[in-house]
Amino acid sequence: MKKELRERFTEGSIFSQWMREIFFDWDRTQLFICFVLLLLLGLTPLLIKSTYYLGIIILAVIYAFIGVSWNIVAGFSGQLLIAHIIFLALGAYSTIVLFNYFLISPWIGILISGLIAAAAGAVIAFITLRYGLKMDYFGLFTIALMVALRTLFRKWDYVGGAIGMWFRLTNPSLDKMIFENKPPYLYIAIGLVVIALLVQYRIYRSKIGSYLLAIREDEDAASAVGVNTSLYKALAVIISAAMAGVGGGFYIMYVTFIEPPQVFNLGMNVEIAMAGPIIGGLGSLAGPLVGALLNKPFAEIVRGFLAGGRSGVSLIVYGSFLILTVLFMPRGVTGVLHDIYSRLLNRFSKKELGD
Amino acid sequence: MALLEVNGISKQFGGLVAVNKLSLSLEAGEVLGLIGPNGAGKTTAFNMISGYYKPDGGEVIFDGKTITNLRSDQICKLGLTRTFQVVKPFPQLSVLANVMVGAYNRTNKRQDAHDISMEILEFLDMADIHAMTAGSLSVAHRKRLEVAKALATNPKVVLLDEAMAGLRPTETDEMIGLIRQISERGIGLLLVEHVMKVIMSLADQIVVIHHGEKLAEGTPREIVTNKVVIDAYLGEEKVDVAGR
Repeated sequence: MKKELRERFTEGSIFSQWMREIFFDWDRTQLFICFVLLLLLGLTPLLIKSTYYLGIIILAVIYAFIGVSWNIVAGFSGQLLIAHIIFLALGAYSTIVLFNYFLISPWIGILISGLIAAAAGAVIAFITLRYGLKMDYFGLFTIALMVALRTLFRKWDYVGGAIGMWFRLTNPSLDKMIFENKPPYLYIAIGLVVIALLVQYRIYRSKIGSYLLAIREDEDAASAVGVNTSLYKALAVIISAAMAGVGGGFYIMYVTFIEPPQVFNLGMNVEIAMAGPIIGGLGSLAGPLVGALLNKPFAEIVRGFLAGGRSGVSLIVYGSFLILTVLFMPRGVTGVLHDIYSRLLNRFSKKELGD
Repeated sequence: MALLEVNGISKQFGGLVAVNKLSLSLEAGEVLGLIGPNGAGKTTAFNMISGYYKPDGGEVIFDGKTITNLRSDQICKLGLTRTFQVVKPFPQLSVLANVMVGAYNRTNKRQDAHDISMEILEFLDMADIHAMTAGSLSVAHRKRLEVAKALATNPKVVLLDEAMAGLRPTETDEMIGLIRQISERGIGLLLVEHVMKVIMSLADQIVVIHHGEKLAEGTPREIVTNKVVIDAYLGEEKVDVAGR
């Protein structure tokens, strides 16, 4: 039915053909939604002058980037990599060390950070696969590793130990990725998310993506049809780690300060890596961005209004919000959008085909 | 040498000998039936041949290569694949996406994988439901999807583990027709089946196993009249039906 409908629209202007290519394909429709959202976010500095609100938007976009990276390992390959923030932390530390001690520009630094995080991902993948740690055991392994790293970084004076480390600020300059105002950070973050979304889309629509989804659905069945499950599971962890490393590098350029309890932190991990994709729809293409744009502002509002009262109230409200989303929208916002999309497409095709 | 040559494979679980020195061989385009009572070791044998279990002893030679110690995905790449008794679709993916996973064995291009998969779905009469999610399929369609996934990998040999279990009589007849067509394409089939009608009408050769050991081997006609097999497995009444 869909195919017939498509054929009807092969004629017409380039614009309408272009629209056809997008809207008869849910994957592309999701990408389109994301790009519209990012375009709108890019315009916000024109309307919003408050640095506080702009700051929230920038963090939301960074969270979206980290969310995309987690979506590849958790949403596509179905591996329960809980303490994803390890890779962000390693990337952040790498970028700051490379700049402070070696004067390497953050533009290059965040790429090196990506490589370092990828190497860490490879080590984690190798160990867990070697000893057959799957699902919850794999998740627990990452949490344990995070706790161990927190202790290690606390004692490691070279990277600031327990006191933490400031990014050595100089005069604003583009090549050091230091800016006077917020908007440039926003544009870089948006650029990163655009790249992440395109990478994610390419993976999803290729052999790798097909194999990762198969592994998530049923590992034995995947290997029966020729999927080297160990190789592809490791690949998912490494790709995801590399992206999170890059994201961590940029994150630290924006917040300028790092300390072990801030980045080796499970609560932070939930907020920055897991909440976005889960609210938005784990495993979907638009989920991480849509989720992050809801999650970060909500977390911030709750904190702003409730943190003054009894301690912990804001966390209870935020936690309840997450529980309710999972309970009532198990496939996230994108799942709901997809239902609406399918219904609209059905109605449209019935009308067009006179069925 | 036969396409698939199984030489004396054994498997023990704790003290229990599940399969003991089982040998069989299969030619291209041949249908070999593997029958026996529940717990006889049929599925264990399947798991060893397809790389899910490592045999304690013996060897499996496929297409001239020893595959005894290869992983199941490597074995699949060589051209031997299997279906599961308890069907294992990728439930949240569409029927087409399920088959495409298999098709990526032949190509790295999405478009090619798509075309190969649609062709196979058309052959199995499932093209019209290619967009449905696999989790929402009926039992009959799930069984067929297993076959579609296996065929997509471009196999020389397929191990079919109870492809008919749970099907209605008309569905069973359709499946028999499909399997015959697959065999006519020159694909060797190893069939585990409880439905005697299926085995009798499809198999060129039958191997009967009991307590992990080979009890008898022969053509369907030889098997139904074999005294040992009747005592161990078929029973008197069955023979009347199958012997016609």
